[in-house]
Amino acid sequence: MKHILNLATALAVGLMPIAAGAQSMSPMRGEVNSFTDAFAVRVFPANPYDQKIKVEIHVYDQDFQPVDAKISPSVFQLGSQASRPVLVVVPFGGAAERKVRICTESIPFPNQQTQIRAQICGKFFGHRKS
Amino acid sequence: MTLFRTAFGAALLVACLDHAAMATTQNVIFNGTVTATCTLVVGSNGTMTVSPDLQSLSSHNSGGSAGTVTLTTTGGVSLSVDPVTTTTVPAADSTATTWTPTYSASGAHAIAETASSTALTVPGADLVSVNLAGTKSGSNRFANGNYQATVTLRCE
Repeated sequence: MKHILNLATALAVGLMPIAAGAQSMSPMRGEVNSFTDAFAVRVFPANPYDQKIKVEIHVYDQDFQPVDAKISPSVFQLGSQASRPVLVVVPFGGAAERKVRICTESIPFPNQQTQIRAQICGKFFGHRKS
Repeated sequence: MTLFRTAFGAALLVACLDHAAMATTQNVIFNGTVTATCTLVVGSNGTMTVSPDLQSLSSHNSGGSAGTVTLTTTGGVSLSVDPVTTTTVPAADSTATTWTPTYSASGAHAIAETASSTALTVPGADLVSVNLAGTKSGSNRFANGNYQATVTLRCE
């Protein structure tokens, strides 16, 4: 019984980093209330590859037009199986609410004939409260 | 006296049973929330080859290969490809090319080759094949040199 418990514990501990690293971005949905002219979202891009990759964060509106948001940091290198927080501050632009997509983009294998850019986008809804 | 002992023993047994019956149970509640998640892992990029009439540069042509991506999701997301905007062509190619990216998937979701968005409602893992075809019309032909294009595969 003790051996089984030890095995289960080791398995659980071993699986934890894999599970945590197996997301490209979280959360992918969110609703934020703000009392200021902007709302903030913290997302966590993750690198599921066994190699370091360059990650870019972009913010788009519903029509995939770029949004002038503050992204810290917007471009960075992410180590294998690693994740890091990114703060995105989106202005309301005079509107009472705003829907945006926050996208994590990477080209894991650049400099080849047909490259694939993997893009994971989360949808976020900001409400301005008076 | 024997009868008294029997009665007393029986009463004691019933009393003990009562105590056992009074033991209480309490449920321990566990809650968990799984939010929408999508992971894209690019396995390989694609390769395009030119057709004998030099009007098609495609991963579908003989010798070409699709790019492969492993997708894992909880469901509640959608998959799509963007129109190709980033290309590099040889200087000798000055004519227009129409680029058409498509994808198909097998696994938890069976998706026939499409260029449209697909809703992934159920959880699971898929192998996504990404294809790209460039075509020239009229008298235009692909030129000698290196071509490069980037296909964006989006999960949202």
